[in-house]
Amino acid sequence: MTDARRFSSRRRPNLAPWLFISPWILGFFLFTLGPMVFSLVMSLYDWPVVGDRRFVGLDNYRVMLTQDPKFWQSLGVTVKFAAIFVPLNILLSFLLAILLNVKVRGTALFRTAFYLPSIISGVALVMIWKWIYSKDYGLLNYALSLMGVDGPNWLGDPHWSILAIIIASLWGLGGTMLILLAGLQSIPKELYEAARVSGVPAWAQTVYITIPMLSPMLLFTFVTSLISAFQQLTIALLLTKGGPLNSTYFFAMYIYDNAFKFHDMGYAAAMSWVMFLIILILSMAVLKYSAAWVHYEGDVKGGGNG
Amino acid sequence: MARTFTYGALIFLSALFVAPFLWTLLTAVKTEAELVAWPPVFWPEDWRWENFATSWAEQPFGTYLQNSMTVVVLSTIGQVFSSSLVAFGFARFRFPGRDPIFVLLLATMMIPWDVKMIPLYMEFNFLGWINTLKPLIVPAWFGEAFFIFLLRQYIMTVPMEIDEAARMDGANPWQLYWRIHLPLMLPGLVLVGTFHFMNAWNDYLGPLIFLNDQTKYTLPLGLGLFQGRHDVDNIAIAAITVILCLPPLVLFFFVQRYIMDNALGSSVKG
Amino acid sequence: MTITRRMLLAATILALPGASFAEDQVLRFATWNTDPESIAINQAIATKFEEANPGVKVQIELYGDGFDDKLTAAMGAGDAPDLMYMWNFPAYKDALLPIDDLIARDAAELNLDDIPSGLMNISKIDGKTYAMPIGFTTQVVFYNKDMFAAAGVPEPQAGWTWADLRTAAAKFRNAETKTYGYAVDAKPDPFDFEQFLWSNGTKYISDDGKTLDGYMNSPEAAEVLDMFADMIKTEEAVALNIGDDTPGSALFKTGKIAMFQSAMWSKTGIDESGIDYGVAPLPAFGSKPVHSVIGASGLSISKDAKDPELAWKFVKFFSTPEAVEMRTNDLPIRTSVAEKLGLATDPITKPFFDMLAVSNRETNAFLKNPNWGQIQANLATAIEATMVDQGNAKAHLDEAVAASARFLN
Repeated sequence: MTDARRFSSRRRPNLAPWLFISPWILGFFLFTLGPMVFSLVMSLYDWPVVGDRRFVGLDNYRVMLTQDPKFWQSLGVTVKFAAIFVPLNILLSFLLAILLNVKVRGTALFRTAFYLPSIISGVALVMIWKWIYSKDYGLLNYALSLMGVDGPNWLGDPHWSILAIIIASLWGLGGTMLILLAGLQSIPKELYEAARVSGVPAWAQTVYITIPMLSPMLLFTFVTSLISAFQQLTIALLLTKGGPLNSTYFFAMYIYDNAFKFHDMGYAAAMSWVMFLIILILSMAVLKYSAAWVHYEGDVKGGGNG
Repeated sequence: MARTFTYGALIFLSALFVAPFLWTLLTAVKTEAELVAWPPVFWPEDWRWENFATSWAEQPFGTYLQNSMTVVVLSTIGQVFSSSLVAFGFARFRFPGRDPIFVLLLATMMIPWDVKMIPLYMEFNFLGWINTLKPLIVPAWFGEAFFIFLLRQYIMTVPMEIDEAARMDGANPWQLYWRIHLPLMLPGLVLVGTFHFMNAWNDYLGPLIFLNDQTKYTLPLGLGLFQGRHDVDNIAIAAITVILCLPPLVLFFFVQRYIMDNALGSSVKG
Repeated sequence: MTITRRMLLAATILALPGASFAEDQVLRFATWNTDPESIAINQAIATKFEEANPGVKVQIELYGDGFDDKLTAAMGAGDAPDLMYMWNFPAYKDALLPIDDLIARDAAELNLDDIPSGLMNISKIDGKTYAMPIGFTTQVVFYNKDMFAAAGVPEPQAGWTWADLRTAAAKFRNAETKTYGYAVDAKPDPFDFEQFLWSNGTKYISDDGKTLDGYMNSPEAAEVLDMFADMIKTEEAVALNIGDDTPGSALFKTGKIAMFQSAMWSKTGIDESGIDYGVAPLPAFGSKPVHSVIGASGLSISKDAKDPELAWKFVKFFSTPEAVEMRTNDLPIRTSVAEKLGLATDPITKPFFDMLAVSNRETNAFLKNPNWGQIQANLATAIEATMVDQGNAKAHLDEAVAASARFLN
């Protein structure tokens, strides 16, 4: 049956999948392709927001790679942030999701509580974090002092500021947690029952059932966390403005400054393309090697509706 | 024993996550003097609930609310529907160019908005959409990579046998999507709806860039107006933030059980 | 079937009525003021203008903190508002209408003798004027009279120096109550900070905008930075913006600092706090002449304005003594209004006008070099590094000069 269908689809192009994905294809041509091409062109120009534009070829890229220490510095900050944030974000979300997956009374309340920070808008979140991190009067250092620890100057010390941003960013892990939680719920309970009957210990159930079955969602959170880590802007922009001493000056912030403060749209576009390529290569690498650990229950490699 | 531990951990951790909201609430009912007091005052001496009403009355928030609701409702419907269609197309069919197109889709998530914005503005200006809510609604009807990717992953955890059984009963692709997969991915749809709702509800830059006139503003723009160049009205920000949090909070509380609803776990018995 | 339904829905959305102002001619007027008082004032002026010009509607657009984001996008796409508040003229000048010819034509009506020339110069680049001034502030030192009386310290006098300020500041330091005499901002706005270099006989960049070496890193510049760093070290001043985000105004309003250097925008808040305060001009560096930065904003017309003549009519209206007097949230740009309201003699506002009178020698760095934004970012790092290091200004400034070399041509 399946074979017959595949055979027929080979002779006559099947329209069904194209109809299904057509909204996105249409949207891509309407709202994405144009801006992408436009920004690529922009990156080859000395392009002030207003005034005369001048074609400069690859000059923006050359200056960026050879003459701009801030480019490398901000890239370094971003990589450092991503290297710490991405694994922590996934690990903590996973642990929280497991905790919330246990059937206890009032889970609805707990789930809402963990998602709460993701609901609060940026302006207010920053107000809150400034209050938490304040050196002399902040809640965090007050809590530390109760334990006899003399807390650092979180936002004022270049050694701590990046960690402070990471912690603040992790507060918003409610979204990732929900995604994993939804994934956990879709794992058939029979698998665990069978394992329990065979006397498989709980940790082994996690390793051999939960993680493989959850792997498509883990892959999703991995890739999207990576992307958002590289695009990290809002929290640092509002909380530290890149300081102290540029220790939280993210790559995305440098792009933002070039576009909106220095009005150097060409340079900002060139930087955007470099960032785009970096994320693309990293994501492709993750996807390529994901085949080794991601398990799809309904993989279309063997069949499909086409 | 294990249960006690779970409870303890849940209560401790959720306290950490709720604390910021509580502080915002406390700030909202303080006086200006308590706000700048040094060292900071935790509990306001006198709970000034009227701060909510005065902050709300400082700007035409009723109009903003109407605009926000229009944007959020119309765009969320569009997002959920279009993303699920596209995700189904990617997850359940094989067709030439599928994988490169999917990579392209993922790539659209990686473009920084800074440079996309001016060309987009030009386009919307050309269409006459500037200073209308359309730029905030229409694109959502064409699916967004993040949500498509999410739903695709979700669909791909569904065993293929379900599709085969349905096809055996004579279901065409549309019926497969509409009758089988849409109900199965309900948790995913609720997730998408929730995330999109939150994004649209809190979006500041989109409305800032595409709207001009106060009668078209959305709630976050009004909130942003409390942050001036030299002075910030922290009490008003806190008060409006609390009000802004309530609708999504209540909504989330009621829909979260659908995210957890174990539709799949119970449907593949045997 | 799906597609049809979806498209129908989409079509319905597309057909939603957009903004239609068919009856009125609309003037779009963008501002960054978002406090209710300023909004009300601008609205009142706009209403008066509408009354005098039937068929015209002034649409006030509030961009607030997102002013630059919004304006950049709108201008980049060729859809700028007709009228806009403006201060960063070099960045936007190519999108603004030079108004010299209009000013010359309507000189009598404008009565320019009534407006200090320093204020007309704020928007002048390469001999072209891009705005009419709408308000200004100079920089002063606010001081807490009660704290001075309690500590038995004589109040600041006109003609005082930084040495005087430091001597006074040292007397207020109390570690237990966390009280200081003064506050040094580790992350000052470099635009405001240049006044200290001017007052010490140097400037950020040469007047032709081509040389930094010997200016930004001159011994006089380093001396200014080291002095502020030293005030932090000796605890004569609390350091702002290194970790703690509490604004200086909050410290001043709650009696934790005795002196606070700021500008007009802090006055309303201080008034509301109810403390008994005085205002002194900026201190001098020894016998060198003191010079304040003039923070002024203007009202500019977009070069793409649909009806430039109508827009100019509004600008003129905004500059009339009547409108200037309505703008109580700013210091008046017209001498006649200042006199009428007694502001030039009121002890609280007089120092602002005194500073204005002596502050006409220097040009802001951002008017001299088109890449000033990038250079300024390096400078800001140097200032911050000096405050964190509590000294070593020369080395940090040298670094800033070196890093800025590529922006000089």
